[in-house]
Amino acid sequence: MHSDEPGPSGRRRVRRVAIVLSTGSYQREAPTTVLRLAEKLLERGIEVNVWAFEEAVTLTNQDQMEHNEPPSLRPVLGESHAPVGRFIDQLLRAGLHGAKMDWVTCILCAQERGVEKHQMGGAIVGTLGDLWKFVGGADQVIAIPAYR
Amino acid sequence: MGRLLVVDSRDLTEYAGGRSLPPLIEELCRQGHDVTLFLVENGVIAARRGAAAGLSFDALSGTGVHILADEVACRARGIRELAPGVCLSDLDHLADKIADGFDNILWY
Repeated sequence: MHSDEPGPSGRRRVRRVAIVLSTGSYQREAPTTVLRLAEKLLERGIEVNVWAFEEAVTLTNQDQMEHNEPPSLRPVLGESHAPVGRFIDQLLRAGLHGAKMDWVTCILCAQERGVEKHQMGGAIVGTLGDLWKFVGGADQVIAIPAYR
Repeated sequence: MGRLLVVDSRDLTEYAGGRSLPPLIEELCRQGHDVTLFLVENGVIAARRGAAAGLSFDALSGTGVHILADEVACRARGIRELAPGVCLSDLDHLADKIADGFDNILWY
């Protein structure tokens, strides 16, 4: 967990990280990488705040379903393929007992994509004001670029 | 001078901008910054031993840049041997470094 002791570089340890993410489901690996990193930061007692916009608002669409893998691939891949949202849900719940993660979905981007009313529990539909506060309150900001 | 993290998630040959990344990092290092280059996702493709895009890594490492490649991304792409100057790493290591603080993080 978090310590007030300086880190190896002699700096004050990071307490809060803001991540800005615009990549959605099934586009690129970025969401998975972000969640892998978020999990590691939470394990270290660092609070993680994610601002999801553009296609990233689809990551927390609660209506996404697991899809079955083709029968020939099941021995290798397993029975089904879970959506990334499942991982987000686990990290949000992990915050109940450790460092917390907040996940804010941009309201305009969600409305444009018809997913505003389909956000999973724990994901907050918010505005650019939330992004402003995330960035202003963060010791470290990580902006994941959008590219196709 | 600053402590900087550059995360490369793209294959350096996939976009024209990728060619600018090693010279940019070299210049930052020359200016006295402490630079870490972390390769993840398709960024590790250049770290495969013999890859043309990674030929600059050895020299870059010689200037003091710490070049790390995500082990999961390497395994997913069947990369077993890394280019000279690149060290195998993981997201635990990256999280430790972020916890210690950077002046700036550039995610490419």
